[in-house]
Amino acid sequence: MNIDIHQGEQVTVVRITGSVDSLTAETLIQAFSGQVGSARILLVADFSGVEYTSSAGLRALLASLKDARGLGGDLRLAAVRPTVHRVLELSGFTSILKIFDDVPSAVASYAGAGGAAGAGR
Amino acid sequence: MNTDASPMPAAPDSGAAAAQEHTQPRVALVIGSGSVKCAAAIGIQRALARAGIGLDMVVGCSGGAIYASLMAAGHPPEESAEITQRLWTREITQRRNRRALLQALAPRWMKFRVEQFGLRDDRILMTRLEEAFGAARIEDMAIPLHITATDFANGEMVVLSSGRVTDGIRASAALPFAFSPWKVDGRLLVDGFLSDPMPVSVAVKHGASVIVAVGFESPYQESLTSAGRFAFQLSSIMSNNLLKSRFAFQSLAHHSEVLAVMPAVKQRIRLFDTAKVPYIIEEGERAAQEQMPYLKQLLARNAPASLEA
Repeated sequence: MNIDIHQGEQVTVVRITGSVDSLTAETLIQAFSGQVGSARILLVADFSGVEYTSSAGLRALLASLKDARGLGGDLRLAAVRPTVHRVLELSGFTSILKIFDDVPSAVASYAGAGGAAGAGR
Repeated sequence: MNTDASPMPAAPDSGAAAAQEHTQPRVALVIGSGSVKCAAAIGIQRALARAGIGLDMVVGCSGGAIYASLMAAGHPPEESAEITQRLWTREITQRRNRRALLQALAPRWMKFRVEQFGLRDDRILMTRLEEAFGAARIEDMAIPLHITATDFANGEMVVLSSGRVTDGIRASAALPFAFSPWKVDGRLLVDGFLSDPMPVSVAVKHGASVIVAVGFESPYQESLTSAGRFAFQLSSIMSNNLLKSRFAFQSLAHHSEVLAVMPAVKQRIRLFDTAKVPYIIEEGERAAQEQMPYLKQLLARNAPASLEA
């Protein structure tokens, strides 16, 4: 799995390529917690390159989501492939995560986020 | 691995063997409900066999119990496909159970009895199951087998890990209204999908660390033109919501790695579309194949060789 991090003015886009599973979950958690630890709590995970997610991947996503929301931010998904979307749907994640068709839409969804959510650099 | 079938290790090696036993991933295949669509499990079996991945246990629910039992009994994929097409035909539900219908219409007069209430006669179903499994017992299977059903008295999931295979499948596939509940060890059991359409928890409980799970959402009715279809629609709504909530919980609550295999069965599959079994198997194989590289990596990481290093 490869992770590219792009820090925008307020929103951080984390582009993930490969599978989100037990072999890569820790790396993913660290990537997100690094951002959250730097007060960058408005996160977008670009899933266009994610081929598959297992239960360990789901747990990593949930942990990162809780961290971000705990500080008033959020983790939103963009460009999820149909196969991955089916797993997210089956596991109930589509009811707790905001998912967008593409990265610009996900980034734009944070427009107007103020207070703690606006505390990022 | 199946510890029951392994000889006890000699004393000096017992620590290493125990460590290996503890570390070696135990692989389970969970086949959820989905009537004939469960034949996708045969495709998964093929993909696993080709990758050289053995199963330490198989769990089956409802229609999935048939395929879990065939696999556990040691039938190779081609044989399982052939048996399915021979057994699972429209005749199974063609004969009506008139007594049950009258009992539903006039319960007092006809003395309604819950253990008899199924609108279809199950004699052909039982004959077919006997043909396929004879007197085979769950505890004697080549691969450990667990079949799930639901206790009709309290809704609890019942895991059948011993007893006759035919009883297990009959209980697990006791589709409400169609087939009567089935008594096993004094408990009246109904279809396993009512307690968990994809019982991953059974594999977790029996020590599986890597769980390949295949399940299907119940189809929604194209048109609601009868009370029967109305009932099936309600059943689909409830079971699909149950499937998602149970899977969400199992995925997040345990440390076992669950790989959901979701075959993209795009064609409409009706209850007895056995002609479509080859297509279903192909889709199951394709979906499983996508996950083989990861599954192999995962198992290689915990292979005995890495313990020796």
